[in-house]
Amino acid sequence: MPDQSEPPPSSASWIQVAIAWTLVGVPLLWGILTTFEKAAPLFR
Amino acid sequence: MSLLDKQRIVAEPGFNRWLVPPAALAIHLSIGMAYGFSVFWLPLSKAIGITAPVECPADLSFFARIVATNCDWKLSMLGWMYTMFFVFLGSSAAIWGGWLEKVGPRRAGVVAAFCWGGGFFISAFGIKTHQIWLMWLGSGVIGGCGLGLGYISPVSTLIKWFPDRRGMATGMAIMGFGGGALIGSPLADMLMKKFASPTSVGVLETFLTMGTIYFVAMLCGAFGYRIPRPDWKPAGWVPKVQANAMVTTRHVDVHVAWRTPQFWLLWLVLTLNVSAGIGVIGMASPMIQEVFAGKLLGGAGTLAELTADQKGQVATIGAAFAALLSFFNIVGRFFWASTSDYIGRKRTYMIFFALGILLYASAPHAGRSGSIALFAGIFCIIISMYGGGFATIPAYLADMFGTQFVGAIHGRLLTAWSTAGILGPVLVNYIREYQIGHGVPNAQAYNTTMYILAGLLVAGFVCNLMVRPVADRYFMSEAELAAARGAK
Repeated sequence: MPDQSEPPPSSASWIQVAIAWTLVGVPLLWGILTTFEKAAPLFR
Repeated sequence: MSLLDKQRIVAEPGFNRWLVPPAALAIHLSIGMAYGFSVFWLPLSKAIGITAPVECPADLSFFARIVATNCDWKLSMLGWMYTMFFVFLGSSAAIWGGWLEKVGPRRAGVVAAFCWGGGFFISAFGIKTHQIWLMWLGSGVIGGCGLGLGYISPVSTLIKWFPDRRGMATGMAIMGFGGGALIGSPLADMLMKKFASPTSVGVLETFLTMGTIYFVAMLCGAFGYRIPRPDWKPAGWVPKVQANAMVTTRHVDVHVAWRTPQFWLLWLVLTLNVSAGIGVIGMASPMIQEVFAGKLLGGAGTLAELTADQKGQVATIGAAFAALLSFFNIVGRFFWASTSDYIGRKRTYMIFFALGILLYASAPHAGRSGSIALFAGIFCIIISMYGGGFATIPAYLADMFGTQFVGAIHGRLLTAWSTAGILGPVLVNYIREYQIGHGVPNAQAYNTTMYILAGLLVAGFVCNLMVRPVADRYFMSEAELAAARGAK
């Protein structure tokens, strides 16, 4: 049975989630964009 | 209670489970740089000579070479680092997986941070003193142990936080391992260029910088981990009432799991999928250059017929192809693991093997047809399934053996990766050398290799087909489970 007494995550926690995902997402996105730049000659 | 104790990280009510994947990603993106270590090889091979390698005397023994301070290291000596990474990753995950389940992900993540980050510092000292054995010890052995602990640290935790989407959860973390090199390699390149001088190739300073970055990032990840209470479930989620024999609600002890046929079948499934994939990864870039050669430049001609400038351009396209494949490696990890939540783990691996057999066997035809897009497309899908195999296996293990010891069981299963890390390249190199030694042209030597790798996938298909639910006698009783939870 689902835990009915568990309070839902607060809106402050969703801000924390956004910050945490940004901290890992930005370097990952940078890495992906750098990879696309390297892959570009294949499509020219 | 110590800061690192498991009891300290039980989440408070209302904790947002979406904070756990970024913590796992911080660790996996750091240790994923293992895949990108080859960016250091060429500069390190000129660490003494700076502009060109200083060759050691031809008659210098192996042991003399590893301590010599007046001549440069060979690329083959540096390449041993990869072997050490994956041997120690698998070994440490297998040996200390049980310890991880006992002490929790925070303590394990902190130890991983000291091993991986600290390994960079030891290696930096090895570069400073020009002692390659210190690099092997620092990054290879100690760093390799950090790889293993770091790799398995979030698995059990993520599966517990996301019982409704196990594949997606572990896929997010393991996607990070694939992404680590995408960040680390260009970063290392930038740092080496910044630190290089007339007297330094810039690697020492780069190791110190990156070691610090990874240490801090991994500590942040380790301290970001939280574990749910044993009775926690996602809000509104009701476990499926209809029994699925291939998804257990019970648990198998880690000391018992390895005795089941299912463990060894899945061990073979991972070994064969990874061996084939590693074989392809090593071949893909040289293969596209040798098979298509002049066609890559919009013209014609074999590689031998091209000018030096044209060969350089073809090499650039080969590198571009390798970069494209690394992107599909990451995407595949998240895509296939998430897809397995809907179609099931066994069916997902059926696709890997069945589609893989088709694609591996088709690649030589795509080469003969002259279609670069078809050839590249085939390899992109193959590599996506290579990544998907890594990312889906933790959820498969949880489905078969339960969640109580899944991190430790996953650790033992990773010896499959160590095995494949040696088997794959050895097999491919042996087949290639055998064919070239018997007069097969370079461009055609790949074809037989692809067929043999497809054969590995046939074996993998059969192994996966044979996976059945674990027999009753292997599961823990309620009393044993309670004792195990109490002991933790």
